[in-house]
Amino acid sequence: MNLKDVLSPLYVWKRAFEKPYTIKTLKEPRPGADRYRGFHQNDLDKCIGCGSCAEICQNVSIDMIPVSETKEGDSGLRPKIDYGRCCWCALCVDICPSGSLTMSNAYTWVEEGLDKDVRETFCFTPGVDKKPWDNEEKGYRRLEGYELSILERVKMEELAPAERVNSFIEMVKGFSKEQAKKEADRCIECGICTATCPGHMDIPGYIRAIREDDIEAGIKILYATNPLPGVCGRICTRRCEEVCSLSLRGEAVSIRWLKRYLTDSVEAEKYRDLLHDEVVPSGKKVAIIGAGPGGLSAAYYLLRMGHSVEIFEQNEAAGGMLRYGIPEYRLPYGSLDKDIDFIISLGAKVHLNTKVGRDVNFDDIYKDFDAIFAGIGLSESFKIGVEGEDLPNVTSGLNILKLVTLGQDPQLGDDVVVIGGGNVAMDAARTARHLGAKAKVLYRRRLEDMPADPVEVREAIEEDVEFITQGIPLKIEQAPDGKLDLIWGKAEMVDDGSGKRPSPVLIEGSREVMRVSKVIAAIGQGAEYGWLEGETTKQVKLGKWKIEADRWGRTDDQKIYIGGDMFNKTADAISAIADGHRSARSIDSYLAGEEYPKDRF
Amino acid sequence: MNKIYEDLSSRFTLSDYHQQRDNLAFVTVEKAQLVSAITYMRDYLKFTHLVLMTSVDWLEQGKFQLTYLLHNYELHVNFGLKVMLDRDNAVMDTIHHLWGHARVYQRELHEMFGIDFPGSPGVNEPMILESWQGPPPMRRDFDTKKYSEETFDHRPRQHVEPEDYLRQNLYPED
Repeated sequence: MNLKDVLSPLYVWKRAFEKPYTIKTLKEPRPGADRYRGFHQNDLDKCIGCGSCAEICQNVSIDMIPVSETKEGDSGLRPKIDYGRCCWCALCVDICPSGSLTMSNAYTWVEEGLDKDVRETFCFTPGVDKKPWDNEEKGYRRLEGYELSILERVKMEELAPAERVNSFIEMVKGFSKEQAKKEADRCIECGICTATCPGHMDIPGYIRAIREDDIEAGIKILYATNPLPGVCGRICTRRCEEVCSLSLRGEAVSIRWLKRYLTDSVEAEKYRDLLHDEVVPSGKKVAIIGAGPGGLSAAYYLLRMGHSVEIFEQNEAAGGMLRYGIPEYRLPYGSLDKDIDFIISLGAKVHLNTKVGRDVNFDDIYKDFDAIFAGIGLSESFKIGVEGEDLPNVTSGLNILKLVTLGQDPQLGDDVVVIGGGNVAMDAARTARHLGAKAKVLYRRRLEDMPADPVEVREAIEEDVEFITQGIPLKIEQAPDGKLDLIWGKAEMVDDGSGKRPSPVLIEGSREVMRVSKVIAAIGQGAEYGWLEGETTKQVKLGKWKIEADRWGRTDDQKIYIGGDMFNKTADAISAIADGHRSARSIDSYLAGEEYPKDRF
Repeated sequence: MNKIYEDLSSRFTLSDYHQQRDNLAFVTVEKAQLVSAITYMRDYLKFTHLVLMTSVDWLEQGKFQLTYLLHNYELHVNFGLKVMLDRDNAVMDTIHHLWGHARVYQRELHEMFGIDFPGSPGVNEPMILESWQGPPPMRRDFDTKKYSEETFDHRPRQHVEPEDYLRQNLYPED
């Protein structure tokens, strides 16, 4: 035994009086590294409940649970995370389209009472269940520039402005197969869009079909909710894209162009085989008044349900506003006819040039048919309400667009002004440019207040349409050279504090004169009710603005349904198509003697 | 490196020689010659250290690749000997008599890949997979998800699909 062996116990005892090296992990936890992947944080206001985190989680540790109110673009669900399963890989943070989900650097959590339900043990909903790390600045965030999603669209090729103003050739060229598959690849299939689409189309479904290159399946998905997909693939107001979760940090998926790609990939002759369906005739007859998108949609689904359908259309061709209100460069007649011809080929009898109330009586229709769907649209242009409005060269945007569709010269002269800021105003002004005239748009509010599609406004600007905003028309006078003098005044935007958008107020004494060859009013349209004259329409109630009807479009007379622009608030093609589909299901139930529509189609 | 390779190839049947770095090379040896080759390297070429033993599952080719990595402390070079085994008959001669710690690697390879080393002490005892019921988990045809679903109890999910939830709340009748 040597000396060291004798002394070493004393060395050990010396240690007893030193500060211990013990780390008190729970009482004084060591902070995690700055980018440590610890417990989650979720910014509830930014989160839209798209469920991408739950979808990507490889350990199934995330459940979407109801937390807040469901609205368009926000499911109201929020992720709840189970730390018994979480492996802290942070894929959920990396995929999060809104960027709301992050990770703090906190990594200690003491759970008391392990007799709890196993579903609640070490589970919490970040942002909802308050935790000490909720406001922790440090922790894992997605690295700048590191993206799992593709935030940029595949660029759509279109004709250059200088090229397109010389003709009415369709300006958007459409996707090739490679482009479409690439664009379809961007969709993360969260399905937030389907609720916002008025027709509730299965958008992730048909995008998946494109990705898998199964065009036939894609077409079937389209026709399940929309019998005018070629039209919507071109001119849809695409509110789906506004809520696309990718649009939160990048560009929305080009849903509209993908739909167009599907329909352009199949020839018209193939639709019949593709969408073949055994139909059992019901022996019931349904009359449809107006061959616009609402009427055509109702016709398609009613035919599919086995009812016979007759359509009464006042114009010389079917299509309604799609044909007479949308210029050819946005929706070529060939594409429109492809969709319409297929619907008619299923057996609809169409009476063209037949206006109800003029050529045929509503009463007769009422007696001859088992049900009626009316979608006559909004065809009466509102008046500007100024002196001189009845002068010869003052007309409406709808009138110009219709004349161009009919192949007639709208006699615009060389310099037109369009009054209004909606899509009809844009179409009229751009049509004037395509016909070689100069075009100005006079709008009461600011550019950003325009109800027109921003893309159309941009395209109009590209085509050298001049925008005069905050201008109120005052008077129209005949000018000595045969032209017109539009007298207008500048307006200022006044916010009355009521929370509504600011309204334009004429600046006292402001007076400007604009000399033009044509004044085109495009400030909105109203419905016309001449067709409703007769004995049998007494039960149909006219409300303040429109005919009263339930959500199925059913008026107080069980036999009469309405839909389309004259009924819904949004007044666009897809809403009319949705109305037609809804009414068709309700009519089907009504004809079968059932109270409520059952899901037959 | 080339010298070592030449020396080895004059005595054993080698293939697929590949020098990865100045101090690292691999070569494939016939299964029957592996123990002789590795003994020769240890005793005559001064590769006295067995760095590791590992395996790769070449599922498509129906083979397991065994790799023995050796180190020479004088030259400071690593040399890897590879052996290809039939997946259906995954049996290899043990080398625990050359390096005692090889039995740990062999026990692990047996547990994770199901490669047997008859005679290696304790080769059949589990290292970490006590009461494991399934096939060896590192084999590529092992379905982790299926095994976990069949073997473990599962917490019921509370998950609601956003698309369904939106429908239910915003347009239940459509």
